[in-house]
Amino acid sequence: MNTAKVSLILNAHLPFVRHPEYPRFLEEDWLFESISESYLPLLRMCNRLAEDKVPYVFTISLSPSLCTMLKDPVLAERYTQYLERHIELGEKEVKRCAAEQPEFSEMATYYLEQARLNFHDFVEHYKSNILDGFKDLEERGYLELATTAATHAFLPLYKEYPSATNAQVEIGVQSFLTTFGHLPKGFWLPECGYYPGLEDVLRSHGIGWFQTASQAMLLSSDKVENGVYRPVYCHNGVAAFPRDFKGTSLVWSNESGYPTDKVYREFYRDIGYDLPMEYIGPYIHEPQVRVFTGFKYWAVTGHTDQKVPYVRSLAQRRVVDHAKNFLYMLKKRSLTLSNTLEETPFFTLAFDAELFGHWWFEGVWWLEEVIRLIAKSEDTVRLTTPSLFLEGDEKLQTVQPAFSSWGHGGYSAVWLDGANAWSYRHIHKAIERMEELAERFGDQVSLKQRFLNQAAREVLLAMASDWPFMMYNKSSSEYAHKRIIDHLSNFNVVYSNMCKNAVNTEWLVKAEKRNLIFADIDYNIFNPKH
Amino acid sequence: MILINIDSLSTTELQYIAQQEGVKSWKDLDREELIDALEEAFGEQDDENLQTIKGKINRNRYCNSLTSYRGNSHPVNGLPGTESLPESYHDTSIHLLLRDPQWAFAYWSFSSHLLEEIVDDEGAPLGSFFLRVSQTPLGGGEESAYDITIDTDDQQWNINLPQMGASYAVDLCWRDKRGEEQSLARSNSVEVAQPYWVGKAGRLGDDLSLFCIHFSSLVTREGEIIDNAILRELAQQMSGGVL
Repeated sequence: MNTAKVSLILNAHLPFVRHPEYPRFLEEDWLFESISESYLPLLRMCNRLAEDKVPYVFTISLSPSLCTMLKDPVLAERYTQYLERHIELGEKEVKRCAAEQPEFSEMATYYLEQARLNFHDFVEHYKSNILDGFKDLEERGYLELATTAATHAFLPLYKEYPSATNAQVEIGVQSFLTTFGHLPKGFWLPECGYYPGLEDVLRSHGIGWFQTASQAMLLSSDKVENGVYRPVYCHNGVAAFPRDFKGTSLVWSNESGYPTDKVYREFYRDIGYDLPMEYIGPYIHEPQVRVFTGFKYWAVTGHTDQKVPYVRSLAQRRVVDHAKNFLYMLKKRSLTLSNTLEETPFFTLAFDAELFGHWWFEGVWWLEEVIRLIAKSEDTVRLTTPSLFLEGDEKLQTVQPAFSSWGHGGYSAVWLDGANAWSYRHIHKAIERMEELAERFGDQVSLKQRFLNQAAREVLLAMASDWPFMMYNKSSSEYAHKRIIDHLSNFNVVYSNMCKNAVNTEWLVKAEKRNLIFADIDYNIFNPKH
Repeated sequence: MILINIDSLSTTELQYIAQQEGVKSWKDLDREELIDALEEAFGEQDDENLQTIKGKINRNRYCNSLTSYRGNSHPVNGLPGTESLPESYHDTSIHLLLRDPQWAFAYWSFSSHLLEEIVDDEGAPLGSFFLRVSQTPLGGGEESAYDITIDTDDQQWNINLPQMGASYAVDLCWRDKRGEEQSLARSNSVEVAQPYWVGKAGRLGDDLSLFCIHFSSLVTREGEIIDNAILRELAQQMSGGVL
């Protein structure tokens, strides 16, 4: 039997949230939680596997907005303070649990150890820049790093604005080059959002592959010979890797995915909400805004509030079972498919990186176990990356993938529904006006150049897919709404001033400090004639 | 504001949310009463059926949605010199966005000059606006169209796309009292390709290897099909309406 190839692709992305104008800012916790619970644990996993000489390779896409935040000294300092608070809380929790809730003592100690480990790794080892950790793993051949759109825009809704889609791709590529010192070969399509023709923009920036939603193959106007079980070439030679829905749903399904197992840790029960205000007050946000602290002691148990205490050893045993089950399912399908496919099956397993560790507490353990099991099964299943696979000159079919996304309904409905459709009128207008500014005021220098560059940043930030998703999902929607309005209002300051041939310097200085992203941006990128 | 998995939350947490939501006497309510009070509060906030919302949110539980910090309504100050966004922009234009193969979203605006021209001295309209949706087969063929009546105050509309394998564009039109029509602006066009397997569901269902490669890959081990209208239709056709 031929060896099936498995390509694991993780998308690490968070929207650009940075508010130095506030002493502490709630939504900055998204970054801090992800570093503590996903990114640092994933880095430790990768290094552990390397130390154990486990052969492995997979792909991580690090979004430009995430990279910007991970390099930002203000946020690094705030994350260090966040860790210090967590260590202090952990020390208190160890004492409190020993005295009041001994059944939670083991986890309290574990969380304290993790907080101290995170502090050590972030401050001492990575010197406040964990991107070096990913870069190091790539240089050692364990990771393929990929990029994505500048602000993770859902590109099908900007199809009619080639300057904007081009800017999203070009800045995504340039940002990657600045961060990692070489050009990326792969491009994570935000939300798997694809429209026919997008591959031309990608190709013009040297991109060799992207991932798509699973149904991009079955809904193609061409007959795709191997379904989702082989990548395909688009007509311009860029490769598309369709996501394996069946395989990923073993994890992703909310009804039956592994994370729903009753012995795993319950995400939604957290001492930030459960303990009295006088105790937890210093570790949540002012004024008395309860938030997740990461100290969670209960197991999923079931659809009940009568949760049972979490037992880590039980969960670890279940992780092994689930990893074995995953590999069994993969091999079983591979065997079945090898009788029907003309080629060796290829499985593209694409996930959001923050699923592992943050949302699914045991996710990183599971991933590590799966990788170790695959390493022991190299005769039947082998890890690869899209770029390594394409280097092998494998014979691939050329087809036209279908318009698709991985969102509800499979198209654009999530990012274009009753809650968020209002925004496109304004964002599209801002793009049109940015094009107009770039054309009318090309190649400016000094203050006008800075003014126009800031306008371009504001347009890109308004385009982020996160804002419409949050409004659709009714999660932090007030903040998302405000962010779109703010970026567009900021853009309008530049537009109205430039129409009067003026530069609002006070605004400019403040805006540059606040939305400090894409330092090397050139607003001329929006000139439709370029 | 929608709560995620409300029945999984602790009573302390429910009390906290109830307090934030302005539920009176939240301190005196027991757990069930708190849940009822919160469901009522959310029902008032949102017309959608609560179960649907809960189901929808539940489905996203392990997806990468960012944590919603409940009750977080602290202000984010704007920068100096910024102004509110206008409701619309004063040019006569129409834009079309493809939502899925069955629906597109159109938004439009009118120039102030035009709005002044279409009313008489007393402000009464001298005609009416309508949208003309044009459909052109992708392989070539005759264009067909249908109209949607709109009011002067309307600014957006969901447009039904009757068939796949066609491109669509929408004209923002005016009809005066004499019945004379004119297009004021035309949208960009959107294309809806015809999937290869549409109309061939029988073949897909009858051939086990085709089914295994193409369709079963989009179904979970519990038999749940990937969330997509066309795939559901294919499944129905293959199963003779059983699925």
